[in-house]
Amino acid sequence: MPGQIIFGLLLVGGVVTAGVSYYLTPKYTRVGYQPTQPVPFSHAVHVNQLGLDCRYCHDGVEKSWYSNVPAADTCINCHSGVLPNDPKLKPVRESYKNPDKPIEWVQIHKLPDYAYFNHSVHVNRGVSCVECHGRVDLMEEVSHAKHFSMTFCLDCHRNPNDRLRPLDKITDLAYDRSKDKANKNRDFVKEWHIKTSENCSACHR
Amino acid sequence: MNNSKDSTIKQNNGPRHWRSLGHKADTPEFRAFVEKEFPSGVDLIDDPVSRRNFMKIMSASFALAGLGVTGCRRPEHKILPFSKMPENYVHGAPQYFATSMPTRQSAVPLVVKSYDGRPIKIEGNNEFPGGNGGTDQYAQASVLSLYDPDRGLNFKLAEDGKLNVIAKGKVLEQLSGLAHGKTHVLMEQSSSPSRARLVADLKGKGVRFYEYEPIDFSVHADAASIAFGSSVKPIYKFEKAKAILSLDCDFLATEEAAFQNIRDFSAGRRVKDDHTQNPSEVMNRLYAVEGLLSLTGTNSDHRLRIPTGSIIRVAALFLKEALEVSNTQTDGFVDELKDFVGDLNEDFPNSHALEKEGKSDITKWIKECVSDLVRLSSEGKKTLVVAGYRQPKEVHLAAMAMNSLLGNVGETLLLQPIEPNGNGSIEDLASNFKKDDNLVVLGGDPAYNAPADIDWSGIIEKSNKFIRHGFYNVDGTSKKATAYIPAAHYLESWGDARTNDGVLVPVQPLIAPLFGGLTELEVLARISGADEVDPYKITRATFEGIAGEGEAKWSKFLHDGFLADSASETLIEEFDGEAAMAEWRKNAKKVKVPSRGNLEVTFYRDHSVDDGRWGNNGWLLETPNPVTRIAWDNVLLVSLKTAKDLLGEADSKKLLDFEKVDGKDFDPKNMDLPGRFGFHSESGRFYQKVFKLKVGDREIEGPIWLLPGMADDVVGVALGYGRGVGRVGGAKGPLNERTGGGGFSAFEARTTDTQHAASEAVLSDTGSKYEVACTQEQGVMDGRPVVREANADDFDSHKDFVKHFDLDSVHHTTHLVKGDDRGYPWEKDQELKLVKASDEDLPASQYRNNFGDDKVNGPKLMDVERQQWGMVIDLTTCVGCNACVVACQSENNIPIVGKHQVALGREMSWISIHRYFSGDEHNPQINYQGVSCQHCEDAPCETVCPVNATVHDEEGLNLMAYNRCVGTRYCSNNCPYKVRRFNYYDYNRRPMGVEDGERKPGRFFNDDNNLNNSPLHPSNKSSNGEWELIRWYKDPSRGSVPGLDDGKKESGEFDPEWDLIKLSKNPDVTVRMRGVMEKCTYCVQRIQSAKIDQKTKIKDSVSKLDKTAKIAALDVPDGTIIPACQQACPADGVSFGDVSDPSSEVYRLKRQNRNYSVLGFLDTRPRTTYLAKLRNPNTSMPDYFDIPNSVTEYNDKAHADIFDSKKDKTNGKEAAH
Repeated sequence: MPGQIIFGLLLVGGVVTAGVSYYLTPKYTRVGYQPTQPVPFSHAVHVNQLGLDCRYCHDGVEKSWYSNVPAADTCINCHSGVLPNDPKLKPVRESYKNPDKPIEWVQIHKLPDYAYFNHSVHVNRGVSCVECHGRVDLMEEVSHAKHFSMTFCLDCHRNPNDRLRPLDKITDLAYDRSKDKANKNRDFVKEWHIKTSENCSACHR
Repeated sequence: MNNSKDSTIKQNNGPRHWRSLGHKADTPEFRAFVEKEFPSGVDLIDDPVSRRNFMKIMSASFALAGLGVTGCRRPEHKILPFSKMPENYVHGAPQYFATSMPTRQSAVPLVVKSYDGRPIKIEGNNEFPGGNGGTDQYAQASVLSLYDPDRGLNFKLAEDGKLNVIAKGKVLEQLSGLAHGKTHVLMEQSSSPSRARLVADLKGKGVRFYEYEPIDFSVHADAASIAFGSSVKPIYKFEKAKAILSLDCDFLATEEAAFQNIRDFSAGRRVKDDHTQNPSEVMNRLYAVEGLLSLTGTNSDHRLRIPTGSIIRVAALFLKEALEVSNTQTDGFVDELKDFVGDLNEDFPNSHALEKEGKSDITKWIKECVSDLVRLSSEGKKTLVVAGYRQPKEVHLAAMAMNSLLGNVGETLLLQPIEPNGNGSIEDLASNFKKDDNLVVLGGDPAYNAPADIDWSGIIEKSNKFIRHGFYNVDGTSKKATAYIPAAHYLESWGDARTNDGVLVPVQPLIAPLFGGLTELEVLARISGADEVDPYKITRATFEGIAGEGEAKWSKFLHDGFLADSASETLIEEFDGEAAMAEWRKNAKKVKVPSRGNLEVTFYRDHSVDDGRWGNNGWLLETPNPVTRIAWDNVLLVSLKTAKDLLGEADSKKLLDFEKVDGKDFDPKNMDLPGRFGFHSESGRFYQKVFKLKVGDREIEGPIWLLPGMADDVVGVALGYGRGVGRVGGAKGPLNERTGGGGFSAFEARTTDTQHAASEAVLSDTGSKYEVACTQEQGVMDGRPVVREANADDFDSHKDFVKHFDLDSVHHTTHLVKGDDRGYPWEKDQELKLVKASDEDLPASQYRNNFGDDKVNGPKLMDVERQQWGMVIDLTTCVGCNACVVACQSENNIPIVGKHQVALGREMSWISIHRYFSGDEHNPQINYQGVSCQHCEDAPCETVCPVNATVHDEEGLNLMAYNRCVGTRYCSNNCPYKVRRFNYYDYNRRPMGVEDGERKPGRFFNDDNNLNNSPLHPSNKSSNGEWELIRWYKDPSRGSVPGLDDGKKESGEFDPEWDLIKLSKNPDVTVRMRGVMEKCTYCVQRIQSAKIDQKTKIKDSVSKLDKTAKIAALDVPDGTIIPACQQACPADGVSFGDVSDPSSEVYRLKRQNRNYSVLGFLDTRPRTTYLAKLRNPNTSMPDYFDIPNSVTEYNDKAHADIFDSKKDKTNGKEAAH
């Protein structure tokens, strides 16, 4: 009897541990998070089909830590003429007319408050949007592509070269460096003196 | 995990995480006004109209907070973008605006950092001519006052004696409806030309104006005007003075524009390069005569202890001496002075320190001082004699006379023409006010701080309308008003001011008034019924009247923060001896010498709360007084002799009520125990006896405190406490019934005649006790040379004196291997080694080389290719003002913990300015040393953390990963400098002034407040009586003092404590929770920000450069990174930079002769080092010490002989070490 109990406990413990290790890690809980947004904005249409650069809307990404969601007037630039009466764009028009009614986008990528990430230094030093956000240009609805646990950041910080690309290709999400003969074997780390910090002060302040 | 619900369906998703207020309720109106603690993805609506609706929206929405069910669903966070992108705004990049903080008769020029449209951090304007970007502690803490939860939130009208919330328009009607001829306006002093313009206009319409400041610096200008014949105000240029004589003038702390004085004084004191300069030649010298132990006195080279009221006699003797030495003809005035002076030595024995046995000799002190000043003057050097605001006009006249004799006028004493002040005083108000007149009070708090013999309530009773414009509606003045107008904070106001030297500066708002408050200018404009009531337009009109019209000029004015060349030309006037003598003869009064039964009381401006205006500012209340190291309270300061005399020899021990120490009674003279200066209480808690101080027929009560260095038979009382306003500092009532700090009001004993000093006071024991929170029990260094000092005249012959102290001195470490075994990699180049003073470098480290290569020499903790950060603090220039402490608190989100926790030793400020006494307990020498995390290369704290929360980074910083810390506190245990601070409670979220669900100002974090229970314990209730757990479950984002659903609130009012305090936090720095250790980080957020800026600038442009050039291109230039402490320091005492860069300032400073590490023998290799303090005494003065007292103490205790002082005694043989 005691043997069975012990065996039973070990089995249960093992299953729980395995379950937690799989189901409660960011790789499972975050990847694929795809909340419904108030406006069904499709990156696939706007970026891939129409050819908008990431920075047309997310213009703060090169200047600050925060990559901003555009203000309604950016959308109205086109949508005052394109689909001006479409009911799906009603929140955009309302927000443009009334500053008290912002579009309530659901935030997808969020780091804990004790971790400080700065977009501008990454974007300006060769890290493309796709490395962390995945193929947003193919997404009808944005989903969380990578797991964003600390090891995700550290893996790159420990070995950045494979994830760097020439600065003019930062927003070219389809770019594949291994197929680019000119840049395939470049050592950006040495060339640009990339000094990633592997210490806590890089992100934890 | 998809959220498959249609987002257009409004749903109540229940409790949300507190980071996003957007989850509070589901009304769209509310969502527009969310604020996040960390703007991790929010764009706020910047429309000023929306901000004014803040209150309306908040009130509507909190009512909708409710219970809900989320299950295991991932909580949703919202991103709310702008409707139209504001111009020049990049979210996440802070904006900086130039403004200024108006003070009484001047202003502090500032540049304020604004994040998300709200001001976060105050910095000085270092482009201001003559400024260095330093500020004082008041300016640093003023940003917290903007977010003061007790500030007035609404316009109010009185009904049946009680103020009720009313629409703004109704109150404004009252303003414009005032009958000018019957209106009296009482206001604070101001240097604003716009206000002067409006006041002049209103005076023309028959309104009468009165100015009242409880601490009034006008005596400087009044005296100068008499002395020099025209209406002038003196500007003191301490920088140029080679010797300064201060007659009770605490110019480093409590005079006007003290931060500017600190900058100038330190500039005159600093030894820039002790390899090439001789300190005796470059340093200035400070003589101080005072009754209190003020900051200036603690920094002086020679100090005379004379009760405040008797300094006039000392001034007379100074003047007599100066007149005689200069052979000035005065028709017998000199003899009059001689009679006036009397016998100072008899009246004031033991008034200065003595190296050997003997009696103090004031006459000689003064004579030698004058002869030093005269000698310097004859050599063409400038000196300066200043008198303090507490001294009567006659003393100032004597000082001006001396300045004139010494040739200082036009050099160190500048005279700037000013408009004579045409406003009445508060006494005039009391006599002019007739029945049914109207009273308007702008700012201040006369009910609290008016002279006690003014019948303030009588004036109120007579008044018809009493309109109050003030920051608080809960203070004594506002409570009796018929109408209340919330005042705008200066960070919300348009206005202007003139700095101390007359330069015009703007007051530019960084945020629209949070609660619709009005500025003073607007109130005055409305009273006059003018068309233009917009303070922006008023200010601009004034500016255009001074500088001319045009957008370009105005924009430049706002951009720079000052108008260049706007100060009036200073005058050179002749000293009017006749007028001065006449004034002296008329008014000079001798005061009876204080004695045991006839004590003298000196009221002084407090270093933390000023005259009470900062009484609810937690940062200032918690910053300990630099001299007494007491926080949260004021005390009755007495000298040792006074304490002993009060109750006789035997009972004096009971006065101090010490527990027996080691079985013996405490006797300051004969015991060689820790706490010899200051107090030793075995428990570490100080329960001081409460004494009643009777001045005339008024009484106040306060705890007694011994301060070595006070003049005998003088009681020093700080003003500004006991105001009773607000949840932080507003504890009221008898001292023996409260523990909330906040002190007692000294204004109750202060009359119009005794504004600064009162005589014939009596102290009597009340029998009760009051706990005083003192942060430094230990006054002495016990022979451990943490502060190393030397006299300037000894420096030349002992340039390497710092190397002879302590166990790491050249005499002690012969057993350690020397050489370059652990030399720094950047020092391999021999040419860079500049220091050859003793040919002995620091011995090689016992620890492994942290620049190793991970294989052979050890782990590669630090990277040679990166910049290596370090800091140098210069003890000669640091005056101990504590501006850095408040700046650090502001920058790093350091919480306040309340008096009780401070008494337990749990104060959170990362920098401590330790204050040490040495020498004679009646006339001690004082040293200050600011200590924060030393960022040791071989940090003892790093090796003992069980979870690796504190590690070293590649650039030399000792890091703290807050989220990893489990609160073992082993690191703090191991730290030899004791600079680590632990969050024993969740200081950031605990409510202030609440206990057991009841409002109790000042009480928070008391140990009888059930705080040792978890927050979920049933006895923990929020301010509406609700159990914390229920409150949390309903809404985890709220604090314990909820908003509108608090049933005890008046309608229309709400309690913004939780939301407002959040706004004061710096988003770049984590806000720590309970159980987490924290410490100085060298402002790592500023370091990272500068590195990021540099990398963002460089991008990929270095590809073509060689390795060295690449590294250089990515280095942050020296001087870019300025930690908060360095930026706030007016004395330029802190230097920060790259210690591996030969061209950086810290590299140069670390190679100064005076550079040393505290506790260097532990071989922790701290990156923060100090430059030893140099004193500059005058060898002919009777209180000259051959070597500083702390060094004598060290020599005695360590059997050492620094400076060879004992050589003579051992017949030429060197004394044994």
